[in-house]
Amino acid sequence: MPTTTASAVCTTVGNNILLRLTSGERDVKLKALRELKNQIIGNRTKKLSFLKLGAVPAVAGILSDAVSAVDVADNDENDRIVKDIIVQSAAVLGSFACGFEAGVRAVLDAGADILIQRGCLVEEMPLLKSYMEVVDAGARSLKMIYQSKMAPKYDFLQEENMEFLLSLLNNESENVSGLGASIISHSCKTSLEQKLLFDAGVLKRLTSLLGGSLIQRDASLESIATIFKNNPEVVSQFVGPDTGRTLSCIIEIVKDRFARTRLLASLCLIVIRNASPCYLQDVGIKTKLINNLLELLDDPGRVGDEASFAFSSLIAEKEDMQKLAFEVNGVDKLYNHLQKGSLHPRRFEGILLALADMCSKLECCRSRCLSLQVLKLVVDALAHDSSDVRSAACMCLRSVSRSIKFIQNLSAGSFMNETIVIPLVRLLDDTSTAVQVAALGAISNIVVDFTTRRSTFIRLGGVKLLVQLSKSMDSTIRLNALRALRNLIFLAEDKCKEEIFMELTASLLASLICDPEPSVQEQALALVRNLVDGRINSVEYIFAEDGIILDAVGRQLRIASKAEIEIQGMYVLGNVATGKESHKEAVMDQLLLRAENKAQSCIIKFLQSNDSRLRTAAVWAVLNLTCSSSPGSSGRLVKLHDAGIVSHVKNMVNDPCLDVKLRVKTALEQFNSFDDSLASTSCLQFLTVRAVGELSHVVDPSSKEEESIANYFRFSMKKNKKKKSTRTVKFCFDVPADSL
Amino acid sequence: MSKKVITREEWEKKLNDVKIRKEDMNKLVMNFLVTEGYVDAAEKFRMESGTEPDIDLATITDRMAVKKAVQCGNVEDAIEKVNDLNPEILDTNPQLFFHLQQQRLIELIRNGKVEEALEFAQEELAPRGEENQSFLEELERTVALLAFEDVSNCPVGDLLDISQRLKTASEVNAAILTSQSHEKDPKLPSLLKMLLWAQNQLDEKAAYPRINDLATATLEDPAI
Repeated sequence: MPTTTASAVCTTVGNNILLRLTSGERDVKLKALRELKNQIIGNRTKKLSFLKLGAVPAVAGILSDAVSAVDVADNDENDRIVKDIIVQSAAVLGSFACGFEAGVRAVLDAGADILIQRGCLVEEMPLLKSYMEVVDAGARSLKMIYQSKMAPKYDFLQEENMEFLLSLLNNESENVSGLGASIISHSCKTSLEQKLLFDAGVLKRLTSLLGGSLIQRDASLESIATIFKNNPEVVSQFVGPDTGRTLSCIIEIVKDRFARTRLLASLCLIVIRNASPCYLQDVGIKTKLINNLLELLDDPGRVGDEASFAFSSLIAEKEDMQKLAFEVNGVDKLYNHLQKGSLHPRRFEGILLALADMCSKLECCRSRCLSLQVLKLVVDALAHDSSDVRSAACMCLRSVSRSIKFIQNLSAGSFMNETIVIPLVRLLDDTSTAVQVAALGAISNIVVDFTTRRSTFIRLGGVKLLVQLSKSMDSTIRLNALRALRNLIFLAEDKCKEEIFMELTASLLASLICDPEPSVQEQALALVRNLVDGRINSVEYIFAEDGIILDAVGRQLRIASKAEIEIQGMYVLGNVATGKESHKEAVMDQLLLRAENKAQSCIIKFLQSNDSRLRTAAVWAVLNLTCSSSPGSSGRLVKLHDAGIVSHVKNMVNDPCLDVKLRVKTALEQFNSFDDSLASTSCLQFLTVRAVGELSHVVDPSSKEEESIANYFRFSMKKNKKKKSTRTVKFCFDVPADSL
Repeated sequence: MSKKVITREEWEKKLNDVKIRKEDMNKLVMNFLVTEGYVDAAEKFRMESGTEPDIDLATITDRMAVKKAVQCGNVEDAIEKVNDLNPEILDTNPQLFFHLQQQRLIELIRNGKVEEALEFAQEELAPRGEENQSFLEELERTVALLAFEDVSNCPVGDLLDISQRLKTASEVNAAILTSQSHEKDPKLPSLLKMLLWAQNQLDEKAAYPRINDLATATLEDPAI
C-alpha cells in the first residue's frame, strides 16, 4: 500500500476539519472541534500533521472568540454552545501540549496558556456549577502545559499571581487544585520562591490534600517536596503542632498501596531529611525508607527506574545510611537488579549510581561488590550507548576501586587490569565532557597500584591523553586530568616519571601552576610535589628549563590566598629542600623573596596560619633547610634568623596541633645543635622515619580507612631506607565532590 | 506425617466465634457493584441497605457506557465517550490507546470491510508501531488477520473472539477507574483468593471441612 495515499487521505480529512473550523456557524465549529479532538488524542502522528496545517493558532482563535462571547449572567441555549466550544477547544489545546514538545511550543506561541487561564478560570466561573466543565477543561489543559519542560515560568513574586495560585489550591475540584500543585512542582525553583510559598501558607492546604484522592495526594506530595528541597531555612520554620501532623501523615503514606505514591512520599521525606538535621533521624524511619526504596526497585515501570535515584539521594554522603542499607543486603539487592540485563538506560544509570554511593565510604560494601563480581557488569556498561550510563559506570568504578582489596588486587585477578583500563582509556576521548570527567575520576583511582594497571595504562597511551586533557579549555577537565597524573606519578619508577615529564614539559607544568583556576593550581602543585619525591635526582625536574617550575611555585606561594594551594606549594619547597646544597639554596632564594607590599616572607604568614596543615608544611620546610647533616645549614639558619623566621618557629613550641608541636620540637633541637656544634645524628634518625604518605579523600582526611591505606603505602616505601631526609608526598586518592 | 483432624462440629463452632460486621460486608458488596459498574443495582442497594458508595454513581453511568460500547464492538463511539469523560486518559495511556485502535481494526475485519481495514491499518495502527517499538509484535499479529481467507480458523483467529472485546473493555474500565482515583479491582476476588491460599496452607497441617466450591461456599467434610 503506497504511503502517499494514506497521508493524502489524512491531509484531506485534516483540511476538511480545518475548513469547518472556520465556519460561521457555531454548530459546525463545535462538531469540527470534537472531531479534531478525537483525531489527535493519543495520536502523536496526527498531532504533528495537524500542527503543520496550522491547527493550533486556529483553535486558539476560536477559544478567544468564544471567551469574549460568554455572558456569565445568561444561561440559555446559545450560551450552552459557547461553553461547549470553550471546553472542546481547551481540550484540543491541552492535548496538543500533552507530552509533545512541538505542540507545547505551538500552544505557547499562540498565547493559549494565557487565553485558557483568563477564559476558563476567571473568578466568576468557578462559582457557577454549570461552568464546572469549563473550569475543569481549562485546568486540565493548563496542567498539561505546566508539566512540560518548556512551561512558562510562573512568577510567584507577583502578588496577583500568588493569589490566583492560592485560589486554585483552595478549589474543590481535583483538576483545579491539581493544577495549583502542578504549578508549584514545576515552577518553584529558587529559595526565595520557596520561602514566599511557605509564608503564603500553602502548606496547610497541601497537607489537607494529602488526605484527598490519589491524584490530589500525589500532586501534593510533589509540591511539598519542591517547597522544602535544599532549603534548610524553610524547613527550620516548619515547627509547631502542624509539622508533626504533616510528617506523620507523609510517613503513613510511605506504606500506601500504590507504588508511585510510596515513591513520592519517600522522596518528600528524603528532601525534608536532607535539608534539616533535626527531622526524621531515628533508626526506625531510616530503615523504613531504605527498605521501601529497595522494594520499589521491583516495580517494572518508571517508578522502579526512579526509585534508585531516590535511594541515592537518601544515602549519598551519609555513612550511617550506607551502613544501614548494607545491613539489609542493599548491595546484593542492587546487584540482583543489575544482573537482569537489557535494562532501560535510566534504570541502569540509577542502579550504577546507587552502587557508587553505597561504596563511596564503606569497605564492607566495596568488598561485597568485588566478591559478587559486580565489576564485570560495570565494565560492560562503560561501552553503553547512553552517555549517562557510561558516566555512572565510571563513578561506580571510582567508588569500588577505593577498596583496599582492589588496590592489592586480592579478589580480582589479572583480568581486572586490562579489561578495566582499556575501556577507560577509550572514554578519555568520549564525545561527552561529563563522561570524560567521570572517566578521569575512575582513572585517578585505578592507577594507584604497584601492579600492572599503571603500566598497562601508560602502554595504552594514557599519559599522552591525560596531558592533552590537561590543556583543555574546560577547567573541570584540566583539574581532573591533573589529578589522574598526580596519582600516576606517585611513587612511580624513575623511568616512568621521566616519560611523564617528557610528555608534560616544564613549561606546561609552570603554566598550570599559574592557571586561572585555583583548584587547577592546587593539583598542579600536588603533581610537582609527587614528581620531586623519591630519589635525589627527581628534584632536578623542578630546575628544568631554567627553573621555571620553581619560579612558578614561588610566585604562587607569594600571591596565593587559598590554604590548599599554599600547603601544596610549601610541601613542594619542603621536598626540594631535601636535595643537594644547590637545591636548598634555591629554596632559600624563593622563600626570602618578598612579594610586593609585603614586609616579610610568605612563610611567616604560613607559620601563623589558623590552618594546622599549613603550619605543619611550613615547619617541615624549615626543618629540611636546617638539617644538621648539610654543610650549608648553619648559613641558612642565620639567614632564616635574620628574616625573623626562626623566632616565629620558637614561638610555636606550644602549638595546639600535635603534628606541628612535634616538628617544632625537632626544629628547635636542630637549631640548638648548631650552637652545640655537635652533629646530631640521633636527630637525623628521627627525621628519616617519618615519610609522610598522605591521602586526600572526599570527606574527612582523618578517617580510619585512610590511615590503614596510608600505612600500607608507608610500609611499601620502607624499602627506600637510605632516605636522608624527610620527604612528604601526597597523592590524591579521589576526586573531591566539589570539582564534579 | 499425621495431620490434625478437625471435625465439622469443632470447625463450625470455631467459625461461629468469629465476628464479622454487617457494615463491612455491605461495603464489600457495594464496592463490587460499583467497580464492576452495576449502576442500578448499586443505587438499589444503597437505598435498601443505607450503604454509601465510595464513588459518585453518576460517573459509573458514563464509565458503563464506554464499557458497553466496546463490548458491542463500537470502538469509535467508545473512544469519543472516553475523551468526553476525560481527555487525559488516552493521551497518557499509549498501551490502552493502541489496544482500542487494534480492536477497531478487528471489528472492521469482522465486518468484512477489507479495504477500509487496510487503510485503517496503514493510517492509524502503523504509526503506533513507529511511535512505540513494544507494540510491533501485537501489531503484526493483528495485521496478519488480513492475510487469511478464513479468518475464524487462522492462527490469530482468537483475536476475533468476543473475549478479546471483553479484554479491551476491561482495560478501558480500569483506566477510567484509575483516573478517578478509584481502585480498578474490586475487593471481593482478593478475599476469595486469600481464602483459597489459607486453605492450601492449612491443608499441609490439618484435615478439616473445606470450601471447595466458591459459588456455594458449602463446607465439605474432611476425608478421614
